[in-house]
Amino acid sequence: MDKMRIVLTVNGQDHELLAAPNRTLAQTLREDLELTGTKQGCEVGDCGSCTVLMDGEPVNSCLVLAVQASGKAITTIEGVAEGNQLHPVQDAMVEHGAVQCGFCTPGMVLSAVSLLDKVPDPGDGEIRQALSGNLCRCTGYQKIVEAVQDAASKMERS
Amino acid sequence: MLLPRFSYHQPASVAEALEVLGQHGDQAAIIAGGTDLLVNMKHGKLAPRHLVGLEGIDGLEEIGADNGSLVVGPRLTASALAASGELSGAAQALALGAASLGSPQVRNRATVGGNVCTARPAADMCVPLLVLGAKALLAGPDGPRELPLDEFFLGPGQTAKKPGELLTGLSLPRPAEGSGAGYEKLGLRKALEIALVNVAAAIWLEPDGKTIKQAKVALGAVAPVPMLSPGAEAALTGQTAGEEAFAQAAEAAATDAKPISDHRGSAQYRREVVQVLTRRALGQAWQAALGQ
Ligand SMILES: Cc1cc2nc3c(=O)[nH]c(=O)nc-3n(C[C@H](O)[C@H](O)[C@H](O)COP(=O)(O)OP(=O)(O)OC[C@H]3O[C@@H](n4cnc5c(N)ncnc54)[C@H](O)[C@@H]3O)c2cc1C
Ligand code: FES
Ligand code: FES
Repeated sequence: MDKMRIVLTVNGQDHELLAAPNRTLAQTLREDLELTGTKQGCEVGDCGSCTVLMDGEPVNSCLVLAVQASGKAITTIEGVAEGNQLHPVQDAMVEHGAVQCGFCTPGMVLSAVSLLDKVPDPGDGEIRQALSGNLCRCTGYQKIVEAVQDAASKMERS
Repeated sequence: MLLPRFSYHQPASVAEALEVLGQHGDQAAIIAGGTDLLVNMKHGKLAPRHLVGLEGIDGLEEIGADNGSLVVGPRLTASALAASGELSGAAQALALGAASLGSPQVRNRATVGGNVCTARPAADMCVPLLVLGAKALLAGPDGPRELPLDEFFLGPGQTAKKPGELLTGLSLPRPAEGSGAGYEKLGLRKALEIALVNVAAAIWLEPDGKTIKQAKVALGAVAPVPMLSPGAEAALTGQTAGEEAFAQAAEAAATDAKPISDHRGSAQYRREVVQVLTRRALGQAWQAALGQ
């Protein structure tokens, strides 16, 4: 099982790494790059807490091999805010009380950011559909959906 | 949950892939999106020593045209197929099935080749492919061969693909004017759910816009393999499209279904659901064929 040389562009920065083929992208981000904002819950694709964007599209990083992500642009939750300036989705999540234990939040935010990049003015159904791969055991979802709606309208105005 | 150890191969051509597969025999597994394979490996059900990734091979990720047929690349993801403009008319069935698979994150990785080779009885892309009369295009050590999809599925997780063979495409007839598709899936929840029953339907209308030239209905999760309903097809061919013909076809589909009872639902309930979903899917296909 030879390690393989891979290049991951994470939040705009290139990282050259030696990766064992059986390491997932989630493990590599958390353990090798120490970006622990990406959470791991079920580890088999069911919960979405490990969601990152790969070339702009949400994927479950627990089901992507690091070697398969080589050459791709990865966005993790650490890359969403600009310095101390939270992304409008993050701001709205705080304002609407859409964060309780917070375990689902990084994945939830990334799914929402990816939606708003493509659909600036989504309807309720589109938001729920876009977040349907992210499970939240605390909030009951309503506040999260409201936060995303609010973020969308604030982003449209700015 | 850790993955067992393996070596990773990235062949640059189909020929190279076949060579690697040949070298390692049953120690090797092909990986596309990994949404089935990696889950099985994490659960300890599989432990291949060699994984063969397909991402280095050109041409497996597009829809091509070949003598009146469309060839769907096996590495196309459910997301790509759901959004594809090339799947019009009856071929829309595949886009509809792809759109209802898993979650956005899973759809961005799950490929149609993986869905077909995993061969689950409820697979969301397999049921639509059956109504389209899709053929599996295989490459292997003994050369290429084609197999109609209804002969490809042998049982849950079992296919006629020999070890060492690679699925290089799925061939479908090119979409015809006056054809349309419908897809219905009932699960216990809307996302991230394997179907309790899923039904795909396709209708090809005569130029009069009323008479059914041909129609096919396929059923998922009601037999060991995704299955076509010959009864529904017979009940529809040559009939005038509409509620009456669809109701008869739905009854025939329920008779053809061979459901079992499990934790998702009883056999009797599944048969009822087949009727309802078949009627709805046919209605949807009819509207689509009329261009509405
Ligand atoms: C959370 C979750 C939800 C899901 N929900 C659904 C659902 O709603 N509906 C549904 O149908 N499925 C669902 N699935 C199952 C899975 O996502 C699909 O079956 C998917 O299409 C598999 O594709 P893949 O590319 O990920 O396959 P992989 O896991 O890469 O491969 C699957 C199998 O196919 C073989 N294979 C792949 N490509 C080829 C090829 N070109 N030639 C030969 N062999 C090949 C592999 O060796 C392996 O045995 C779900 C999975 C997860 C994790
Ligand atoms: S940890 Fe990846 S989906 Fe649950
Ligand atoms: S806030 Fe706890 S899981 Fe969503």
